[in-house]
Amino acid sequence: MKPPGKRKRPFQRRKVCVFCADSGMKIDYKDVKTLNHFITERGKILPRRISGTCAKHQRDLTTAIKRARNIALMPFSIGPL
Amino acid sequence: MKRYETIFIAHPELSEADQTELEGKFRSLMASLKGDILNLEDWGTKKLAYQVRKNTRGRYFLLDYLAGPDLVRELERTLRLNDRVLKFQTVKVSLQVSPEVAKTLKEAAPRERVTRVNERSLSLEEPARKENAAAAGEEEK
Repeated sequence: MKPPGKRKRPFQRRKVCVFCADSGMKIDYKDVKTLNHFITERGKILPRRISGTCAKHQRDLTTAIKRARNIALMPFSIGPL
Repeated sequence: MKRYETIFIAHPELSEADQTELEGKFRSLMASLKGDILNLEDWGTKKLAYQVRKNTRGRYFLLDYLAGPDLVRELERTLRLNDRVLKFQTVKVSLQVSPEVAKTLKEAAPRERVTRVNERSLSLEEPARKENAAAAGEEEK
C-alpha cells in the first residue's frame, strides 16, 4: 500500500534537455515560437525542474527570453488572471 | 571586426521616405566607419508584446552587419535621435570575424537592398523542427 501523503507526481518529468536531445534546435531570441514553450501562462520563465532543460541551455534560454522581452517580442508579464 | 545584429522597432506607420532615409543613414555610416551590411530584414508590422511609447504595433527591422565598436555607438546614436524609431537592441553575434570569413559572409549576403520577411518565413521553426526530428537538422540560420 502507498503510504498516505505520498501521492504520485501529476506530471512525469522529462529526463533530457530538449536542446541537447535535438542538436538542430537553436536558442534564438528572435524565435518566439520556441521560446513560448518555456514560459508560464503569466509570462514567467519556466524553472529547470519543470522544463527539464540542462543548466547550459537554461542559461541560454534565460538570456534569449530576456532579450525577446526587451525588444517587445515577448511580454514581461501576462495578466491579470 | 565583429558581427552584430541590431533589431529595431520603427513606428507602425513608417513612410517609404522615412525608411529610405534611415537606410541611407546606415549605408553612409557603414561606408564612413568601415562596416559592412550583411542583411537588412523587414519583418513588417507586428503586434508588440507590450506598449512602446503608446504604440501597440510596430514595424520590425533586423540589421545584420560587420563592424567595430565605434560604428555600433554611432548607429545606436542615430537610432536614438530618430523619433520614428521606438526601440532598438544590439546583439553581438560573433566575437571575432576574420577577413576570410567576412569575405564569404559578404558573398553569401542577399543581393536585395531590403529583404522582406513575411510571417510564414519568420515562423520557419515549424517545418524545420519536423525535419530535425526526421534527420539531424540542417537549418543553418
